[in-house]
Amino acid sequence: MIREPSILICDDEADLAGELGEFFAACGWRAMVHTSAPDALEALHAGAAPTCLLTDLRVGHFSGAELVSATRRLPNQLQPLIYCIMTGHVLDTTAAKDFGVDLLYLKPIDPDLVLSDIQSFLEDTFKLPTGT
Amino acid sequence: MRAPLRSWSATLCAVTFCLFVATTLLYIWENKHRAVLSQTVTNSGWVAYQAQLEHVKSAAAIEHAKDHFTPQVVADLALRLEILRSRLPILYASEEGRILPEIAAMQPALQAYERLLDRMIDELPALHPPDAGTPEMLARWASALAPLGPELQTVLMASVAYNNSLFERERTLATQLAIVPLALLFLSGTSLVAMLLLQSRRDTARIAEVERARRAIADMEGNLRGVIQAAPTAMAVIDPSRNAVRFVNPAAAQMVAGSLDHPDWKRLIEVAAQDVRTGDAEGATVKMALTKANGDVISLRGHLCPVTWEGRPQVLVVMIDTTRAQHADLQSLQAAKLAALGEMANALSHEINQPLAVIRMAVANAHRHLETEGARDAVAAKLERVSTQVDRAKRIIEQVRHYGRLPSGTAEIFPLGQAIELAAGSVAEQYRSAGIRLALQLDLPPEHTVSGDRAMLEHVIVNLLVNARDAFALQDDTRPRTVWLRAQAQEGRAVIEVEDAAGGISDDLMSRIFEPFSTTKVAQKGTGLGLALARSVVRDMNGQIMAENMRYGACFTLVLPLAPAAASSAEREAA
Repeated sequence: MIREPSILICDDEADLAGELGEFFAACGWRAMVHTSAPDALEALHAGAAPTCLLTDLRVGHFSGAELVSATRRLPNQLQPLIYCIMTGHVLDTTAAKDFGVDLLYLKPIDPDLVLSDIQSFLEDTFKLPTGT
Repeated sequence: MRAPLRSWSATLCAVTFCLFVATTLLYIWENKHRAVLSQTVTNSGWVAYQAQLEHVKSAAAIEHAKDHFTPQVVADLALRLEILRSRLPILYASEEGRILPEIAAMQPALQAYERLLDRMIDELPALHPPDAGTPEMLARWASALAPLGPELQTVLMASVAYNNSLFERERTLATQLAIVPLALLFLSGTSLVAMLLLQSRRDTARIAEVERARRAIADMEGNLRGVIQAAPTAMAVIDPSRNAVRFVNPAAAQMVAGSLDHPDWKRLIEVAAQDVRTGDAEGATVKMALTKANGDVISLRGHLCPVTWEGRPQVLVVMIDTTRAQHADLQSLQAAKLAALGEMANALSHEINQPLAVIRMAVANAHRHLETEGARDAVAAKLERVSTQVDRAKRIIEQVRHYGRLPSGTAEIFPLGQAIELAAGSVAEQYRSAGIRLALQLDLPPEHTVSGDRAMLEHVIVNLLVNARDAFALQDDTRPRTVWLRAQAQEGRAVIEVEDAAGGISDDLMSRIFEPFSTTKVAQKGTGLGLALARSVVRDMNGQIMAENMRYGACFTLVLPLAPAAASSAEREAA
């Protein structure tokens, strides 16, 4: 069981990133909010090591997929357990694996559903209940 | 035919002139010659006769002095000798002396007698009556002067002979020479008559030619009226100075109104009169929307042409019904806009989903706050955030609705700056998503307005911005991904520029860039009609659109006339 699950949220829409952070914080998660991909990557390099990485597909001029890719190249101990991408664009595919992530959401997202999915994924994949 | 006639006439004219001149000169010469002859005949022989007479008198005076040598006789003798001396030079210096060789040959002899007479005149005062030598001296003088008599007789005879020959010549002239001037006068008269005949013939030919031309013009006018009557195009002749319609063909009567005092014709007259006053009647374009009796609204487009109709300067208006063509243009434009909207769908969904996502999250968090005591302020903040995001989504929807509306096809006066900002806002998310910077440099106050279809102009600007965005997809990423949208007022005109840094347009495409279906885009993107429609829209606003390659990419320039109020405002600002 993870005592204090953490989530790193990256979205250039500051209001949305803030609301997401607030939601996860209210759910007992340690939320780290970033509105730019370079800042998020720097935090990951610095050892943030969140349980979950939730990023927008396009963060300014930066692609969320690139952020995921860069994060996957970090040492194992610094990598998140679960990768999520959310997007407001119309996509040709809704398969998460096409973006190299575990979960894919289309905006506007249902935060309860996202939380539930993340918890289920952690429990099913890593047998790690988050305790929330 | 006309050229030989002209040549003959010119020749005759010249000949007549020459004949008249010759006749005049001959007349003058003859009169002058006759006067000389008369004078010569009058004078000829008289001098010789006088000299001979004085010689006789001098000889007599010498003989008289031999017997009666008195001072009075001496004085008379001196006078006679002086007179004789004065007559001799006249002989060879006279007309005969210059002309007659016999007299000219006697000049030395006569001069010798002159010297002799001079000596006698000098010696005469020295003679005295008592001297015995005086009679002898006088006898010697008489002997010395005696040969002069025959000499003078010879001169007299030569002069008389000359006089006779002159008389004969004068008589000959009087009988023969008069024929020549008469002949010349006759020839001159004949030549003059011939010239007049030729001129008359030429005038007759010219009059016939003018008559033929008049008949041809009359036939042509008849044919032209027939063509105008039968033409399916509406034609009308307007007299701007009298504000009246002079003629309408059946097509015009059917298209506009049969009655010449119909209000719609009056509107057309006003437009024509305005163009004539401003000197724009030559090739000026007329655009009108008319409501027909059955309620149908038709669009007319035509040209004005100054003509002379029934002998007066008037204006011919040729019009066609462009209702269908304009409707087709509007449909094409709408199709192009819908195609663009399809391309924008992805960006639009993102734009709308963003506020929805914030709303969804804010609502979720607000619910959690409601479960907590004393969280009223936090819930209120969430609701405020929700309200802000709803407004944001509303603005996006309004932009889409505004852009997607059917063009009205009618002109309105609108602030150009607002239209450009709205167009730029429509593509802002696309640019953001594509990582392209849209640099706005707008220097157009709200009072700077233009006249035209606002939706169409917005579409033109959006189309140029979308083209600029798509141009980067064809280029490598080393270029600065920036598009500049500039607008400013210059001398009563608005200049709008859309410049990209995407490499520019190839030369072969540049020459036909505004032709329909000219595009560099892949088949799935664009209709190829955007720039053709843009040119059509800008022309309808009496503006121009141009394309040129700059250092890093292409630049499209729109020049639009500012609406009159805006133009004067801009001039005041410039002043």
